[in-house]
Amino acid sequence: MLSRSAEAVCPTITTITQDLAAEMVRFEPVVRTIETLIPRVEVQEPGTVYIPISGAVEYYGGEEVLCERIVKELDPFGGDRRIGLAAGPFAAYQAVRQTTRFQPLHIVADDAAFIADLDVASLGSDDLAEAFRWLGITTLGAVAELPRDAVISRFGRAGLEAHRRARGIDRVTTPREIPGDLAIASHFDPPIEDFEQAAFVARNLAQRLVGNLTSYGVAPHRVIITATAADGTEQSRTWRSADPFSEHTLAERVRWQLRSWIDGVSAGIRGGLETLRLEPVDLSGSGRQMALEEDAKGFEETQRVFMEVQAIAGQDNLLVANPQGGRDPKERMSWTRWGEEERSPERDTHAPWPGQIPSPAPALVPPELVPFEITWVGGIPEQVRLRSRWVPVLSWAGPWRRVGRWWDGEGVSDRYQIVTSAGAYLCEVREGRTYLMGVYD
Amino acid sequence: MIATLQHSGVSSTPRWNDFGHANELLTLAPGQIAGLSGIPGSGLTRIGLSLLAPYALRGPLVYIDVRGWASPMAAWEMGIEPERFVVVRSNDIVSWGRIVATLLDGVRGVYAEVPTGLRDQVLYRLAALARTKRTPLVLRPVSGKLPSGVAYLNLEAREVLWEGTEAGHGSLTNRRTCLVASGRATRGMVRTIEVEDDGTNDLRVVPHLGARTTGPDMGRIRAG
Repeated sequence: MLSRSAEAVCPTITTITQDLAAEMVRFEPVVRTIETLIPRVEVQEPGTVYIPISGAVEYYGGEEVLCERIVKELDPFGGDRRIGLAAGPFAAYQAVRQTTRFQPLHIVADDAAFIADLDVASLGSDDLAEAFRWLGITTLGAVAELPRDAVISRFGRAGLEAHRRARGIDRVTTPREIPGDLAIASHFDPPIEDFEQAAFVARNLAQRLVGNLTSYGVAPHRVIITATAADGTEQSRTWRSADPFSEHTLAERVRWQLRSWIDGVSAGIRGGLETLRLEPVDLSGSGRQMALEEDAKGFEETQRVFMEVQAIAGQDNLLVANPQGGRDPKERMSWTRWGEEERSPERDTHAPWPGQIPSPAPALVPPELVPFEITWVGGIPEQVRLRSRWVPVLSWAGPWRRVGRWWDGEGVSDRYQIVTSAGAYLCEVREGRTYLMGVYD
Repeated sequence: MIATLQHSGVSSTPRWNDFGHANELLTLAPGQIAGLSGIPGSGLTRIGLSLLAPYALRGPLVYIDVRGWASPMAAWEMGIEPERFVVVRSNDIVSWGRIVATLLDGVRGVYAEVPTGLRDQVLYRLAALARTKRTPLVLRPVSGKLPSGVAYLNLEAREVLWEGTEAGHGSLTNRRTCLVASGRATRGMVRTIEVEDDGTNDLRVVPHLGARTTGPDMGRIRAG
């Protein structure tokens, strides 16, 4: 729910911005505790870890015993602890999502059978799930039964990924020969003592690593972040992602990790950060697919330019819009700040929306309704005031009545397309007053 | 519904040997600058976007929105994918020039509304930069016209004729905009052209309706 909608429901609500770096600081002790039982814990995000347990199960004497041990060790932290156990990470993640507060452990005996019963929504793509449902396919088992070629032909790379997951194949690693050591490291002399400076370096390193891997046509799903302090102590953490890391997502993870080491339970990075190393350990060929006429260099260049423009104009002023349902032009656009995840549309794009203003769309739409002067004679528009002069109306279309949500206090309004010799305008008449909604420029 | 449309590819410098090539006037080659002048409602936003639309196949286009009124729906109707249309809102004269200069360095095309009160010198510099970086640039002054020599193609709206509405019936369908074209694109001559826009397709110059209003070879022009 958007904060605006939440405030509409509850005006006294307090909005707290999510700070994932701070959450990672709180989560780091949990990860360390798990690591005392089982090494090589992989963090997906603050709050979620993957634990490879094949060796540990034998050592502790069974899956349930191991899970009980983990839960016991995490007792001092309080809160809700849930464990999903499966042969693959996708099934394990879905298993943990099916746990409840009262049943916090879900052990999957047969990954294939478990995945087959999952709803298509578990693929994590609303568009894909919607398309599958429209085709009458509601479970991953049904997706797995589809011919692979047909899925690729219809849904492209996203469909291929979904098909793999539905068949219980998490990903294809190392698709072709890649030089052995792809790790990237930076040494700092003198050591970096400022967190912001370290975060900046992290961004640069992430950019170099992903850029280097992209040239081989691969992308990392797991990255080991290693920081060496000036006193020689070394700290390391593995991060995992279901989708391959991009420059942005990897830089973010490195920043969270650095902050958790600096502000967390460990004694910080004593003497400053001397070396920062990023090592990709799980590569797949599912890197970003460029469009036919797009080139990787141009893409990077554009990202750099947009970041610069964001710094000049402000974050809120670099925007991308996406279509959504609605009756009026303003309603049919959903704005997102550039670089942020696209918002899910507030209104269904495919719904019929009776009373929608027909195409073509006005090229200029004021952010708020602007008073617009029209003289009416017997309900017929006669003249329009444009700046200081009155211009005769040549023709018009409408009224198209819009009945708002009367239970929310929205009134009735009539929309008109007004044509003059100077251009065409979309306007709304509400409670006897006329407002400009758009200009057909 | 937003239609995904076909665009002619980006061609080299437009030629205007006769009116059969009039459509090429509405093509902007890399590094060329178009200046649009006319009051809001004359259809110039769609014309400007159509000049840049072929470049959206290669990367994002940026619309610098000075008034804060830009609606991407018009761009989507021109066949520009939503994720390829980025809007920068800036009405600050000081930062406007920096933003345009930065964008010219890394995007495929820029449509910029020009704020009132901007010094001519800034526009000349940006035009030179656009030529150097080979980035097509469309400039639309919020009021007035561009100083002479900035744009390769100047388009000034003279008249707009809408079809589809009649005393309360129907809805807007087709628009014919009468434009005066000038600049190096028309070899220094002033020409009158008419552009048809059906709202969901590329713009099209109406054949044999344009007329050269001035020029040395007036007598050899086909009847408009």
